[in-house]
Amino acid sequence: MTELGLNRRGFGLLAAGVAAAALLPARARAAGSLVAATFPGSWEDAYRRVLTPLVSAAGYDLTIAPALAQDQLAKVQASPDNPAYDTLLMSPGQGAVAIENGLIQKIDPGRLSNWAMLDPAFQGEYGPTVTVEVNGIAYNPDMVPKPAGYRDLFENPAYAGKVSWTGFGSNTAVMAYTQLAKIFGTGPDDMDSVFKLFKDHPENLKSVIDSTNHQMTLYQQGEIAVFMCSTNNVARLKALGLAAEFAHPETGSPAAPVNIHLAKGSRNVDAAYAYMDAAISKAAQDALKLPPSEMFPTNRDVELTPGIAAYVTREQVASLVYPDWSLINKNRAAWIRAFDTLVAGG
Amino acid sequence: MTTMRSSGAPYLLPMLLLSVVFFVTPLALLVAYSFSGKAGISLENYSAFLGDPFNFRVLMNTVRLGVLTVIGTTLLGVPIALLYWHSGSRTRQVIIFLSLIPMLTSNVVRTFAWIVILGRQGPISQALLGLGFTGQPISLMFTELGLVLTMCQIDLPLIILPLIAVLSRVNKQLTDAAEVAGAGPWRVFLTVLLPLMLPGLLAGWILVFASTSASFVTQAVIGGARNVYMPQLIYREVGVLFDWPLASAIAVVLLLSTGSLLLALSAIARHRRLVGHA
Repeated sequence: MTELGLNRRGFGLLAAGVAAAALLPARARAAGSLVAATFPGSWEDAYRRVLTPLVSAAGYDLTIAPALAQDQLAKVQASPDNPAYDTLLMSPGQGAVAIENGLIQKIDPGRLSNWAMLDPAFQGEYGPTVTVEVNGIAYNPDMVPKPAGYRDLFENPAYAGKVSWTGFGSNTAVMAYTQLAKIFGTGPDDMDSVFKLFKDHPENLKSVIDSTNHQMTLYQQGEIAVFMCSTNNVARLKALGLAAEFAHPETGSPAAPVNIHLAKGSRNVDAAYAYMDAAISKAAQDALKLPPSEMFPTNRDVELTPGIAAYVTREQVASLVYPDWSLINKNRAAWIRAFDTLVAGG
Repeated sequence: MTTMRSSGAPYLLPMLLLSVVFFVTPLALLVAYSFSGKAGISLENYSAFLGDPFNFRVLMNTVRLGVLTVIGTTLLGVPIALLYWHSGSRTRQVIIFLSLIPMLTSNVVRTFAWIVILGRQGPISQALLGLGFTGQPISLMFTELGLVLTMCQIDLPLIILPLIAVLSRVNKQLTDAAEVAGAGPWRVFLTVLLPLMLPGLLAGWILVFASTSASFVTQAVIGGARNVYMPQLIYREVGVLFDWPLASAIAVVLLLSTGSLLLALSAIARHRRLVGHA
């Protein structure tokens, strides 16, 4: 057997060669690639499956990076000159924070061939709206009756100990809490009334969880029967074969447009525009509207599926409840701290 | 000796550089950031953190979780290590294999497996129901007990492996001599084996305590929002409230509080009287 003869200098050269070879493809790819942040879970799956081939056809490599909106913000804030993502995906709540901190830039609609296919409400100066998340209440019909609304969850004994909530860091939760503040208090910012409500119904404090994703896991295990959700969450649970239904609260369904933003400092602007254009194209939204993602299409040329139309029609979109995010952002830090203290028994 | 020192320095240099670049510098930045206030250098982040009784309770909860997990892993780990010591080579291989398997699985995977185990339909609930200890299914999710059980399983290898390493060097003739002198099994354990195991125990305690107090995913998923610990508080300030200076101050407080406990344990580990001649 021939011995492999390798001296120290040879080993050093070999190691340097391997390192250089490893770097080369990455640099070659970087010229025509982008990193796009999407929400983890069903969003990530759907965007990777549908948008990667479309962006690839436009000549760019797309890397889908899953991260919650607040995590996207944190990472971009950590290194604003060299952003971790070329595009961000977020609702107006976090979008306002990104604008305030100069993390995203206005876009040039002239570079998006599908821009005209969007209603004016979905043509944001900081990026297009790719879908509207309709929020409400997810419930397990095998365990609890259909809730009429948020009030029902506190006053009907059928739900005692079966409802899960999350903290004010979640957009879904904060929209539900502003609705509760309107029902039990004097207005959307009367959060003291909501805190009092939880104090008066301590069984609702027992299953407070840190995120909607964890609620989905617990729902699968039968640990909880009701949680605040978007229609996408329920579509995902149904696709997994679980008994799950969506209830529109009687006081109206809170809604959150989801927008793609171009990160300030992105070095792959052309690729980012190709990605945004693909996300609002008829081809993409025709695929994204189907189960399991069932995203409401913002492209006018895309027909709603019966499943989506059962949740919300194009006519109803305007009448959904759109929270005042400037009011929420102004108070959010104080609400988060107060609620966390309350939940932990403080 | 001088020759050794002068010839060893170049070999230490890469390690020193790595430590300075990747450990000391980020740590120094963290500390510096914790002193940045609205109007320059200030202690406002520390006063904001320490002035809130809720935060102090979270700090105490974190230390408590670490201590409870150390106790749990010790109670589980010592018998396993003793079994290893008494066993033949085949059983020893099995014990090592079973101890290492959890370490080869992602912490996240193990945490999610515990959701099933601790849930209403899980084996613990069903066993208690079957044995008549409870009339209805119970869930240990979002409880401190459930979290401690999970952490004990996840961190058990961290105490078993140092114990096995220490016990492997113990001469069996020592216990034989004690038995010949009339000592019973408990006396042999308490007066001969336990002092010899102490260095391994202390190393294991340090590892388990450090791992538990920083275990963000498990604390968040199993503990829920009712059981708040320091890593969640840091995450909240960084990822939700974007208050990085306060998050840095909390991180420094966590570092100092757990670090001082770990230093105390390390000091005990080096104490000749307490740890014998080890």
